Amino acid sequence: MKRNFHHPKPEKNPRIWRSLRELENDPQFEKHLEQEFPRGADLYQDSGLSKRDFIKLMGASIALAGVGLTGCRRPDSFIVPFTKGVEYTIPGKFLYYATSMPARYGAVPLIATTSDGRPTKLEGNPLHPFSNGGTDSFAQAEILNLYDPHRSKEITEKGQASDAAAFDAFVSSIAAGDGKGLAILAEPQSSPTRNRLRAALATKFPDMLWAEYDPLAATPAEEAAAASFGPNVRLVPNFSRADIVVAIDSDFLNPIETGIGYAQGFAARRNPDQKGAPMNRLYVVENHYTVTGGMADHRLRLKVSEMGEFARQLGLALAKASGNAGLAAVANAVPASQASFDSKWVEECAADLAKNGSRSIIVAGPLTPAPIQVLVNAINSALGNIGATLTALKTDAPASASIGDLAKAIEAGKVKSLFILGGNPAHNAPAELGFAKLLEKVSDTVHLGLFEDETAKACRWHVPAAHFLEAWGDVRTFDGTYTSVQPMILPLWGGRSELEILNALNGAPAPVGPALVQATFTQVANTTDPAAWNAFLRDGFQPNSAFAPVQVTLNADSAAALAKTSVTKSDGLELVFLQSSSVDDGRYANNSWLLETPDFVTKVTWDNAILVSPATAKKLGIKANNFNVLGDIAEKMGNDVNYDLLADIVEISDGKTTIEAAAIVAPGHADDSLSIALGYGRKEVSALMDGVGFDAYPLRRSNCMRTVGGVTCKVTDRDYPLAQTQEHKSMEGRDLVREGTIERYSKDNAFAQSMGMDSHIPPNISLYTHPELTSKEQWGMTVDLNTCTGCNACVVACQAENNVPVVGKDQVRKNRDMAWIRLDRYFAGEANDPEMLTQAVMCQHCENAPCETVCPVNATVHSEDGLNLMAYNRCIGTRYCANNCPWKVRRFNYFDYNQRPLDELYWGPLAKKGMADSLKMAKNPNVTVRMRGVMEKCTFCIQRIEEAKISRLVEAGPTPASETPIAAFKVACQQACPNDSLIFGNIADPKSAVSQSRKSQRAYEMFKYLNVTPRVLYLARIRNPNPKMPGADLVGMANGSGHHGAHGEGHDAHDSHNAQPPHGDAHAAPAAH
Amino acid sequence: MANFFPKWTNWLPLKLVICVGAIVTVIVGGLTYYFTPKYTRVGYEPTQPVPFSHVIHVQQLGMDCRYCHSFVEVASHSNVPTTQTCMSCHTQIKADSPKLAAVRESWKTGQPVNWVRIHKVPDYTYFNHAVHVNRGVSCYSCHGAINEMKVVYQHEPQSMSWCLDCHRAPENHLRPPSEVYNMAWKPASAQAQHEIGMKFKEEWEVNPPVTCGGCHR
Repeated sequence: MKRNFHHPKPEKNPRIWRSLRELENDPQFEKHLEQEFPRGADLYQDSGLSKRDFIKLMGASIALAGVGLTGCRRPDSFIVPFTKGVEYTIPGKFLYYATSMPARYGAVPLIATTSDGRPTKLEGNPLHPFSNGGTDSFAQAEILNLYDPHRSKEITEKGQASDAAAFDAFVSSIAAGDGKGLAILAEPQSSPTRNRLRAALATKFPDMLWAEYDPLAATPAEEAAAASFGPNVRLVPNFSRADIVVAIDSDFLNPIETGIGYAQGFAARRNPDQKGAPMNRLYVVENHYTVTGGMADHRLRLKVSEMGEFARQLGLALAKASGNAGLAAVANAVPASQASFDSKWVEECAADLAKNGSRSIIVAGPLTPAPIQVLVNAINSALGNIGATLTALKTDAPASASIGDLAKAIEAGKVKSLFILGGNPAHNAPAELGFAKLLEKVSDTVHLGLFEDETAKACRWHVPAAHFLEAWGDVRTFDGTYTSVQPMILPLWGGRSELEILNALNGAPAPVGPALVQATFTQVANTTDPAAWNAFLRDGFQPNSAFAPVQVTLNADSAAALAKTSVTKSDGLELVFLQSSSVDDGRYANNSWLLETPDFVTKVTWDNAILVSPATAKKLGIKANNFNVLGDIAEKMGNDVNYDLLADIVEISDGKTTIEAAAIVAPGHADDSLSIALGYGRKEVSALMDGVGFDAYPLRRSNCMRTVGGVTCKVTDRDYPLAQTQEHKSMEGRDLVREGTIERYSKDNAFAQSMGMDSHIPPNISLYTHPELTSKEQWGMTVDLNTCTGCNACVVACQAENNVPVVGKDQVRKNRDMAWIRLDRYFAGEANDPEMLTQAVMCQHCENAPCETVCPVNATVHSEDGLNLMAYNRCIGTRYCANNCPWKVRRFNYFDYNQRPLDELYWGPLAKKGMADSLKMAKNPNVTVRMRGVMEKCTFCIQRIEEAKISRLVEAGPTPASETPIAAFKVACQQACPNDSLIFGNIADPKSAVSQSRKSQRAYEMFKYLNVTPRVLYLARIRNPNPKMPGADLVGMANGSGHHGAHGEGHDAHDSHNAQPPHGDAHAAPAAH
Repeated sequence: MANFFPKWTNWLPLKLVICVGAIVTVIVGGLTYYFTPKYTRVGYEPTQPVPFSHVIHVQQLGMDCRYCHSFVEVASHSNVPTTQTCMSCHTQIKADSPKLAAVRESWKTGQPVNWVRIHKVPDYTYFNHAVHVNRGVSCYSCHGAINEMKVVYQHEPQSMSWCLDCHRAPENHLRPPSEVYNMAWKPASAQAQHEIGMKFKEEWEVNPPVTCGGCHR
């Protein structure tokens, strides 16, 4: 009797995924296993293989294999060519396409790198007029989102698997109906094709309700612009013209808030050496430290609920100075309220603004209430900034209903079928709407989304959405430039795009390829020329297609009417809702790259937390435990080192609803104010999100989208472990980051080179022989601390480029995070109101590398072009190199993070092994995927260096190599940087940008006294304080005054040789005395 | 005198000798196996799904390597031809040959032919064909006399020390650029090769990397 033997099949789609790499449940993984069996063995399985046949087959193959030792050899592998050649595809070579990532403020223009048809990396599009070629961290992480094995993969109806035919039939029935009771809830997006389809749909179904919602949309700004200047007006700043910038509750330098391109021009004006353009000055008013606050010359920490009063006083002062009646009317319309800030701050800031007239910009945040924004508009108008530093554009956005309007329509029973195109309103809609419950009142609900999230569960239909790299689309960037969204790959799991659904609702047949977008392009570009379309796709945008500038004047009456509605009560404790640096509004909840990327300021990974100022923490009884962790560890030495940074759990209540969250003390936070990032604390919807962070949406209502006042905070007796990356990588206060004021810089250009030990070390002599640096190219990097905001774009870009694994919260708490580039954040000054500085630290590629001298197996050695190399296959994992690294930039693979599930790391060989096929597709094929037991670190993107060198040699062919110049290329972090703060190149070429930057007087080495000669130089930060401002004497003093001032740390290059080392250097070896 | 050692210890020295001998044999056997060309698969000659003969195509018909391996000059990977490439001739020549059944099947179904990989460097090693063939390294140097192979087999060990032998002394292998794809080209003598090689090495500034980063990334 013949018997078929089948292995038990793993469950296909477990509801809850516990780990990123629970890939054994992936049917693809079975296939992978099968490949390890002899070729052909599986063929017999289906035809019914008897034991007898099997033994015959085995005997034959053993005989064929000769000695039988082949079994010990590596298994057969195959070369699988295409059957038909694919246009442009060259196996092993990257192809680059222009595309863009739609976002709430427009789009991030991108260049996608595809490798054999798989997109593996996204980079900024430097040709795009509204981009400087950078990206934000979210765009970098989209590759992981695309290949996330937890994306929804099938159409479901009422939670049961359904199919495309059933859903198409449903859509057809709606399309064939009269459109009564049809409503659509979409995310705000400026896609001309969507607008076109929407207009067609509105013509077909005049009763259709079109609502838009995004929890972080800049709706107040639009409302304010409409009241100030008329409908559909948008102000686009030009920071390159602004001498003075005032940011009120705005993190405008952070591209995740405002988008790539918004703040372009700002960084160029921070250069103190620029001829003809003086350094700008940045005033920031905010409640918690943002990256913009870190860049500020003057920063006022202020409760969000007092921002209105601040703007009012600023407006009044400027109205007085300028005599502008419109501004006076608007400012006076805002009801006065009490304020806790120093009025001198406002006065001097106003005086500085008045002095600089139309060369200034005042910006407010996207969520700042409209009455304050209208006042900001009035101030800009009175100063003459509109038309000078701010360009008014006429947008094309059609008017949409709000989610509140939609909720009312549902309550009234007017909505029968609701299409939710993207977004997750069941989770993030204003709490008072009870949106998830509301959805039950609609008979036919459809959710289009990448994940089976809360809204998917509350809807009748769930349709997997196509990722933006899987479907055709188009978008307008913030300035209106018509930009393409080009797919790079067919939908991996049959996703639909929003445009396809709208097209189907219009009753039109399914589009072929880019037909929908091409039709829009014909209208926008006003041409049917295929060459124009091809150029549009090649460049990724249509030139000169931005919104037309318009002349606008302030409508003081309507502006004052809106300003009058300002709610300026600031009593008691407030809770402020923030955009998360990792999950945005919750949409990246399943993206482990982002979850493990530390927050800009708190450096917390995998969680969010309530931020509270030191003084308020003391008042509320929240313990500032995370500062005392070293003491705890010391106390526990001998038993068990406690890595946990335990934070108190607090209960926040607005009287009706209570949420719980861990609280951490955040230096520089405003008093009587609490902040929490949105989008965390989701239950049972995400593989990674279970038990991660705290949900703040239950407290967020339509009338308090930015901040809710009058909350109570109760400290519970429970603790919550947080994983912070910064405390374990403290550099112990040595002069690693250097800063000074522009005044000091003008007096002593080279002040940064004489700080700390640097002014009194003798010429260094090394005991070791130096490696011979014989190559014509010598690679080096410069980090400009003056423009680096700490926005994390480089961190995630490095992770995407270099296949850096994610280790999980537990491992981060054991200091085992793997990021090759980290952003160290330092506070300087008093804990309640310190200055903040950020410094990007990666492998410094020391010419005298301390790691190389201690490696027992020569796994880390120097190349002739100055790279500190890491040969993974030689490394035996002694970790001596990491111990000997002064920068602590080496990372060790304690576990096989790529192959094992993060929750089974300690199971040893019992843990499941393997990686989901889709995740394998995300890997950069030119970088080794490291295994357990090896050390790794920044390689200066050696794969890109070698690629450039090889292409030079290929081009040179049989001619002298030195006659062909090396092609220009950028390393991953440099490419992603929105401010061009990272400069990489050949330091042996005196004309290269990096050589020029190394000549700057601001350039200094970290740990110069160690004589390791790093290849990374830092350009000291220069601040530009206004001497009349209160607290101006504390600005730019992170390293002391340098003139034996009150701050004590000063070290003059000429006279201090006999002085005691400043306390900052007490840890360092007394090399010079 | 008391017996210090129990009786069973009488056989201990012999047991030890046998055990140690066995261990040594295993170690020596293992080393001989894993550190010899046998392990590096010199002579590895798997049966391919299609009995393709380089002798017929290159030696007899005189086809250039680059007709099929068309991207070798531009890409790191030297591509194996697509089914389309095969069929561009074989729709006319030997269109019904049973040996080509797998190719025709592939053309009909669109399923690729799975060629068995012979030359394989480890995953952590990044070899680039383009940079070698454009700078005077012939196919012959790494693949042997492919034109004489009825069935392709591995001719060189392609181990790291083998790579480094050439990277340290490329003059022993460099050729005039016109002869890179000429499998029949032979220098007159070892001395002649050395002279030609030295000439090109200097003229073209050939300086192959010998640091880890040249191949390991």
